[in-house]
Amino acid sequence: MDWVGWGLAALGFALLFGQYLAAQADTFVSIANPRPLDEESMTVTMRWWGLAAESHQPFVTPESDHGLCDVRVYITRKQVLTAIATFGAVRPVTVAWRAHAGILPLGDA
Amino acid sequence: MPLVRLGEPGPWTNYHGTGVCEDATRHALRSGYATRGRDELAAAASDVRQWLAAAQAAGKRVRPLGAGWSPSNVNICSGAWLLHTRRFNRCFRIADSDVRPGVDSAGLLLIEAGALVDEVSDKLEEQGRSLWTSGAGNGQTFAGAAATGTHGSMVARGGIQDHIRAVQIVTPSGIHWIEPAAGLMNDAFVAATGSIALRDDDLFAAVQLPVGALGIVTALVIDSVPKFLVRPIQNLRKVDCATLDWLSAGNFRRFSAAYALDREPDFVQMIVNPFKPFKRPAMLRFLYREEWRPDYPRATPGQMGAGYDALSLLGKLLDDYPWARGALLQFAMKQGYAAGPDVDDPPVYGTWGEGLDTHRPLADLFNASVTIDRGELARVFELICAVYTRHGGSTAVTIRFMERAEGLLAPARFEHNAVIDFDGPRSQRTADAYARVVELLDREGVAFTRHWAKSCSLDAARIAGDYGDDLTRWRAARDRLLPDPAHRALFGSPVLDGLGLTV
Ligand SMILES: Cc1cc2nc3c(=O)[nH]c(=O)nc-3n(C[C@H](O)[C@H](O)[C@H](O)COP(=O)(O)OP(=O)(O)OC[C@H]3O[C@@H](n4cnc5c(N)ncnc54)[C@H](O)[C@@H]3O)c2cc1C
Repeated sequence: MDWVGWGLAALGFALLFGQYLAAQADTFVSIANPRPLDEESMTVTMRWWGLAAESHQPFVTPESDHGLCDVRVYITRKQVLTAIATFGAVRPVTVAWRAHAGILPLGDA
Repeated sequence: MPLVRLGEPGPWTNYHGTGVCEDATRHALRSGYATRGRDELAAAASDVRQWLAAAQAAGKRVRPLGAGWSPSNVNICSGAWLLHTRRFNRCFRIADSDVRPGVDSAGLLLIEAGALVDEVSDKLEEQGRSLWTSGAGNGQTFAGAAATGTHGSMVARGGIQDHIRAVQIVTPSGIHWIEPAAGLMNDAFVAATGSIALRDDDLFAAVQLPVGALGIVTALVIDSVPKFLVRPIQNLRKVDCATLDWLSAGNFRRFSAAYALDREPDFVQMIVNPFKPFKRPAMLRFLYREEWRPDYPRATPGQMGAGYDALSLLGKLLDDYPWARGALLQFAMKQGYAAGPDVDDPPVYGTWGEGLDTHRPLADLFNASVTIDRGELARVFELICAVYTRHGGSTAVTIRFMERAEGLLAPARFEHNAVIDFDGPRSQRTADAYARVVELLDREGVAFTRHWAKSCSLDAARIAGDYGDDLTRWRAARDRLLPDPAHRALFGSPVLDGLGLTV
């Protein structure tokens, strides 16, 4: 019954590899009429399968008084490998966003 | 206080990640809430002038930033004081009482330098007006786009800087309001902006395209045309190489009749796979201008075929599997480009601004181009594709068309221009292949220029040769605006010094 074991191992590996690839895709949310400033980003690390979370910097951007234009959430190759190696106990995620420059009404010269 | 400091000194990276300003001190110019635009400009320009003096006293260079979109690193200077302008973005109507007698104010708009092209389009459209051309995206600042001669493919138009009618520019020695000799705004208006009027054709033609080397542009007066609609047709077609002769001759109507509508097109663009450009389908885009009417069926920018750089996603694959480059590029073109409305689809319409998209960064891109006399296109285009692919170039190749653009340093300096763009995933091989294209054109004796904003590896000697007398005039204008070499150096950077524009 060796082949069953090998088959299951191959299936497990394929499942894991699929997750490894898919995790690196971007998730992107944007407003319709963006006027973006520069992109800022931070890493948020989920610990213990979501029981705790830690961000390396607070979610505050100095120029965000007009709101955000878009937010991108993605996991780099290194971050996926970290999550896999720790059985998901440490799962870093990158959150990137661009603040809005503001839209002021047309004035008179 | 319109000018504020942002955070602690640190690195700043441009949009495409082609350059980093190390140890940069970041500042931002912000719009205020003054009732009149002229008051707002007076306050901002005065702040900018003081800021320049402070930078000089601190022994620092300065670098104004638009959206940071230029991959040529004309926006990079390590150790400098950076001035972010995107929040300095208000736009103002101009009244008859603001202009000199005989000037029609109807199409004019006063804009702060950090207003994005998208913002300017929106504000013009609110007033029933429109830009007549712009680049493929609309996320640049107007001043930043004009600074490098940004263009699209409106076949009878020049560059975005052609819209400019007056420029407010700040140097350490003053706040200048520069217009052509014929004049535009009246003296009372100019004085109220805190500026000294300089009415001179050469100075104006220099500041229309300053490459970031002449001072801080704080405001522009731009012109516009009545709002219009465009009908896009976007399709994948195998193009006969004989059509290059039609395009070279400017017979866009014949080209359009063969592949889209039997009408005079206003915009023509062809994106080919340089691996067998005439054997594999090319992506064609046409725009047909129509009178504006309020009841047109609205379409999203995507439905209008906006945003054509989907190829960026392919970067890694193309680099990892060079043997499959031709097929992979074709696959990407099919996936990314086929979405536009074709001839038999129900027509969609939009204004000029609605057909453009604010780009979002997806992957590392390579952008380079050459601008040639349109008449040379048929002779050299296939040679260009052959050399490019033979040496490992892995991007699509785009042909766009435009007329001679304004500004002494406008790369579109032939009467009729064909611009050949190499846009796609970034790799050293692609950069090397582009260098071989440059060598090829030299060998073939074809005159050409290159884009100030793109990764075109320009140098001072080359620029002197390309622009000749116009560069001499530009430098003479610069020396009148910035007579003190220390002031010229303030706006210098390794890239601009290397181009010979600030030394
Ligand atoms: C996605 C994308 C699409 C593009 N499409 C096209 C296209 O279709 N056609 C085309 O021709 N080009 C195109 N480009 C190139 C682009 O238009 C240029 O790089 C343009 O200069 C970018 O404007 P910016 O506001 O980002 O300026 P930046 O890159 O920030 O600055 C450009 C130069 O202008 C100077 N500058 C900026 N603001 C000021 C100011 N207020 N005063 C003085 N100097 C200033 C900077 O110092 C720098 O030297 C594209 C680029 C990208 C990233």
